[in-house]
Amino acid sequence: MLHAKVVDITKEKIELSKAEKFIASSKCGALIYFVGTVRDLNNDKKVTGMTYDSHDALVIKSFEEIYQDSLKKFKFDNIAVFIEHIKGKIQLGDISILIAVACKHRNQAYELSRFFIEEIKKKTPIWKKEHYENEDSEWLEGNPIQTK
Amino acid sequence: MKIKLELFGASRDFSDKDHLEFKIKDKMEIKDFRKEIINYLKKKFKGNESFKKIVESSAFCSEDNNIINDSYKISRDQKIGIIPPIGGG
Repeated sequence: MLHAKVVDITKEKIELSKAEKFIASSKCGALIYFVGTVRDLNNDKKVTGMTYDSHDALVIKSFEEIYQDSLKKFKFDNIAVFIEHIKGKIQLGDISILIAVACKHRNQAYELSRFFIEEIKKKTPIWKKEHYENEDSEWLEGNPIQTK
Repeated sequence: MKIKLELFGASRDFSDKDHLEFKIKDKMEIKDFRKEIINYLKKKFKGNESFKKIVESSAFCSEDNNIINDSYKISRDQKIGIIPPIGGG
């Protein structure tokens, strides 16, 4: 079971309570929430905020493909995965990504959660522009998208 | 043919709009379209090397949201997305 969404910060924000409702199940004994936030320092530069850009349709497609890959790779029963990624400008400490997973056992949940964030870093077309104290900003370099 | 190149990430600095427009010859391959974009940027931004590097390291995606390789032939007017190196999370 998958929930995948790009959240436009001008309209709403990422909320843990929505993920809690989605992954709640009596079939699962282990729930893990991975929450990515904006931190204040990168490469010795003081960061004040971050703008996320996204190719929305490709992002959703990528989340669905990663989910399908996870089913094939792990063959875990009754999993639930909730992924939301922000789009737009957010401030220090704000949530940029939430990955919530529910599995039968804790080792499965840890493995699955880690799998999702690592695959998203490699395969999901999202870009970050950092904003600094001196009002400069810069797109971060990133890595070429991997298709498989 | 008319191509609307949709800009994402670092490539958004190529224009004040969210896209660029190109007129290209029929059945141009992506590898040649990439050169067209580099030539356009070279003229417009007087040889900005970082823009050239962005285009060289980018992938492209078709209107139906598939990543397309260098040998993909553009055979009709369409939107194409440029996908610079990624880094979400």
